[in-house]
Amino acid sequence: MRRGLAGYLAMLPIGVLLTIGFILPIGIVALYSVMPPRTFEMTGALTAENYLAAFTDGYWRPLMWSALGASLTTIICLIFAWPTAKALESAGHRWSTAAAILIALPIFISESVRLFGGSLFLMPGGGILAGSLRAWFDLSIGSILNTRLAALLGLIYIHFPFVLFPLILGLSLVPKDQIEAAHDLGASRWQVFWQVELPLAAPGAAIGALLCFVLALGANAEAAILGGQAVTVATHAIEQRFNYAQDWPLGAALTMLVILITALVVFPIMRRLDFDRLIRR
Amino acid sequence: MFLVLEGLAKIFGSNKAVDDVSLSIPEGEFFTIVGPSGSGKSTLIRILAGLETPTAGRVLLRGADITVMPANRRPTCMVFQSLALFNHMSVGDNIGFALKMLGIDAAERHRRVETLLDFVRLPQDFLGKPVTQCSGGEKQRVALARALASDPEILFFDEPLSAIDYRLRKILEVEMKDLHRRTGKTFIYITHSLEEAMVMSDRIAIMRDGAIIQIGPPEEIYARPASRFVAEFMGEVNILPVSGGEVAGQPAAGIADGWLVVRPEALRPLGGGAAADISFDARVQNDYMLGSRTQFHLMALDQTLVAELPAGLAAGVNPGDRGRWGFDLGDCISVKE
Repeated sequence: MRRGLAGYLAMLPIGVLLTIGFILPIGIVALYSVMPPRTFEMTGALTAENYLAAFTDGYWRPLMWSALGASLTTIICLIFAWPTAKALESAGHRWSTAAAILIALPIFISESVRLFGGSLFLMPGGGILAGSLRAWFDLSIGSILNTRLAALLGLIYIHFPFVLFPLILGLSLVPKDQIEAAHDLGASRWQVFWQVELPLAAPGAAIGALLCFVLALGANAEAAILGGQAVTVATHAIEQRFNYAQDWPLGAALTMLVILITALVVFPIMRRLDFDRLIRR
Repeated sequence: MFLVLEGLAKIFGSNKAVDDVSLSIPEGEFFTIVGPSGSGKSTLIRILAGLETPTAGRVLLRGADITVMPANRRPTCMVFQSLALFNHMSVGDNIGFALKMLGIDAAERHRRVETLLDFVRLPQDFLGKPVTQCSGGEKQRVALARALASDPEILFFDEPLSAIDYRLRKILEVEMKDLHRRTGKTFIYITHSLEEAMVMSDRIAIMRDGAIIQIGPPEEIYARPASRFVAEFMGEVNILPVSGGEVAGQPAAGIADGWLVVRPEALRPLGGGAAADISFDARVQNDYMLGSRTQFHLMALDQTLVAELPAGLAAGVNPGDRGRWGFDLGDCISVKE
């Protein structure tokens, strides 16, 4: 068998799966997004009406909230993950494995279950935090439940491991002697960070940030469970268009806009990443 | 005195990596610390560079205590064993790194980097070349130029030639010596090869188990090794026990009890009634041609002895020969331990 043919055959299963599961649905959604509003056929005259409606009917708000939430989550997770990754990665630390397991463990528990746990914890009056404080210390506090802050905290809590673990991989690629050499050549801690650590750990940080951004952009549960009615995110708006409003073309247009935002962020970063270095380490 | 080390010690857990090292190094010296792996030489140089804090002792530079001064503030620079070049930067950015850290502007930096390229004899078009595309010898020069950029008072070398093939190493040894002469800076160099140290150094310190066991100019180390360890470190030598004033059962006048270091070139075959201070029966096992000399392995005195003969004498000796061999005590070195 020719080498090339074997390669294509090996690609076939995932190719079929991606065609059925990814390319076809996206094609259908893209087609629906240019159909006349509130139709269920894919044969109508092409129109840009749904995209115009997305901006004139106030749908830019959920899109903005999702983009803002995803950006803030990514940035805050990166800032928290860097020192955590440094601490966990520092060789020979006895607790680093235990700590890494503790951080990874929640991933194996359903996201909704964890978010409802967070909701119970934050609930005003009889919630775990407010209730305990009142019972033990006679302290009465308000609650951030059902606010945008709670939704953001939920996003950060859920997506932190997705930033942390790629970042640890990225940091492990920074040779110790290059950090020492930079220091020896007169670089301060900050200069070592900017000149050596950050550029060399960038592939790991970028993968973590991309995972976090894309997941947070499509996240719905955090806003629904912890944010209450305080914020409507893009996914929620899309779901409403498809389900309650029965306006598939508008839902499809909103979906295409979310995909566009994702593509605008992901592709420029992917193009600059050197994945070979991460894989062949 | 320029650089003084006072009772330096570094303990990792229960391991004394550096054990009470005191020495002084004058300005401009090429000082080499030689020792086997695990002797603590790397730890010692890292303490001097500020990359490790000693458990005890002081480091004084021109009388000022720099023991706890961080590496980035010391007027010293290190060339690492791995070279530790920044692979994400060009040759020019590597060389100019220290200048950038000092806040020197791009134009001035560029000018100084060009001068440094000349100094280490790299072509100017290397400026924008990625470091990853340089050959081993080129990388070596980039590392040297990078270390020289901030005009440090002391340059440290942590076995930078150990991973380089023999031929290139010989060339770079000469270049290193030449660089020392041209810069006039203090070089502190560590290596596990006494041969390498001999070629380059003004003074050599031999390190073992964290302590310095002998220190002196190369000729002195060669001529008067202080112990069996130093003698064996220098290369192939024969070590014979001396006890009760006797070597190999024969009286050894004026030789103290301990060990006798007999160099391969001190041994000779005793044909035709020739005499020597110490003589013995030997069987020639192997011969190895070394160019102008031939080396022989002899079975004698219950051990394998190494002898080296010039071509003229070697012609008459063949593997399998049995005969009398000997040496004179005047050609040997006596050590206590």
